Amino acid sequence: MYPEELKYTSEHEWVRTPGGAEGSVRVGITHYAQEALGDIVFVSLPEVGDEVEAGSAVGELESTKSVSDVYVPVSGKVVARNEQLDSSPELVNSDPYGEGWLFDLEPTDAAAVDGLMSASEYQATLD
Amino acid sequence: MRRSPLHDRHVALGAKLSEFGGWEMPLEYPGGVLKEHAAVREAVGAFDVSHLGKVRLRGPGAAELVNRTLTNDLGRIEPGQAQYTLCCDASGGIVDDLIAYLHGDDHVLLVPNAANAAEVARRLAEAAPAEVEVTDEHEEWAVLAVQGPRSDAVLERLGLPTGHGYMSFATPSYDGAEVVVCRTGYTGERGYELLVSSAGAGPLWDALLAAGEEVRPCGLGARDTLRTEMGYPLHGQDISLDVTPVQARLGWAVGWSKEAFWGKEALTAERAEGPARVLRGLVAQGRGIPRPGMRVLLTADVPVGEVTSGTFAPTLRKGVGLALLAEQVAEGAEVTVDVRGRREVFVVTRPPFVPAHVREG
Repeated sequence: MYPEELKYTSEHEWVRTPGGAEGSVRVGITHYAQEALGDIVFVSLPEVGDEVEAGSAVGELESTKSVSDVYVPVSGKVVARNEQLDSSPELVNSDPYGEGWLFDLEPTDAAAVDGLMSASEYQATLD
Repeated sequence: MRRSPLHDRHVALGAKLSEFGGWEMPLEYPGGVLKEHAAVREAVGAFDVSHLGKVRLRGPGAAELVNRTLTNDLGRIEPGQAQYTLCCDASGGIVDDLIAYLHGDDHVLLVPNAANAAEVARRLAEAAPAEVEVTDEHEEWAVLAVQGPRSDAVLERLGLPTGHGYMSFATPSYDGAEVVVCRTGYTGERGYELLVSSAGAGPLWDALLAAGEEVRPCGLGARDTLRTEMGYPLHGQDISLDVTPVQARLGWAVGWSKEAFWGKEALTAERAEGPARVLRGLVAQGRGIPRPGMRVLLTADVPVGEVTSGTFAPTLRKGVGLALLAEQVAEGAEVTVDVRGRREVFVVTRPPFVPAHVREG
């Protein structure tokens, strides 16, 4: 449910190093988050090139019943976004750590990722 | 919080539970709302809606009491039929919307909403003559809804009657328990609602799910997306004490020529004058999904009302909703909805947003 090689945030997002390209990290939401949201029907994401700040809301995940913000786990520049989610938002539910990724960003400070939670630390917050 | 007699079964099925009208009920089962929604539109789904109220009126003049208090004209139906009706207060505001099952002149069963059942019972008991007994049987009965084009096949497997007319009911027994099988629902599909004693609910639910025909258990999440696609109002959201049947365009559920019903004077005046605001449908032109409380504006930044219900319509794959809008905003008008700071375009559209199939066959 919570892969060991990923880092996690209290906003129920994961960060994978590297992202789609060297120097970037990939961001998505956790199994817990997709389960809590229910069927996701619409995803809005930041634009490629956006400079985004850790903790800020840059997009939305909308399910049949509610809306949840997409937060930035570490400051940086958006270098890619998952365009497939435009037509297939359900990928966030069916494959949150794979094809359901949200966006890639180049961290301003690569070490910031190390400060995020490990899988076991994240899981402890869910209990 | 009150629980359905099927609570343990829902937990065993892995349902997500949620509070609704003071009851803890299934919101969705594993697989999610979209699959449940599609099952009802294309095949068949089973809902536990035991949170719905049950208020029984018995004694000489029971039907007469209902007819002179609630809005609809019971004279329009025969024993063995049910009717959508409204309980209004003196100002015309809607205390609740409910279904009246007419068993006979001396016996009517009302099915109000969970949160309002006690209040409806209280108002009727206060108005009742000595010979009419009003009893709140909320927890004595379960309500199971079987909805979708294949619901007849499911009921037939259980030996239950099917094919009776829309809004009419039969009273067979199942496994020794009395069941009321009514051709009603809240989804827009052909289907039935089954009233059964709380003790008999478990075996009946198990049999429905085991009937083959791929009956999918469905929760209140899908019930909401299904009813919103039909534009059916939900009390507490689209209609309330602050909204009248004239504003909600529920005049068809009012027996205007009746001698009396609660709110008649106020409603007759409002009807003659024309309502200041009207409950209308909205269909998204872009990606926006309306949600209750969002502001509706004319393109020129003029606020004209508020969204009361809204969701992603799975059948249409776009946002739809209901909104209380200033009377002059007509069908076909283009409005915008303030979706968390974004201006999303919607067209005012007469529901249902997808075709209803309740009367077919």
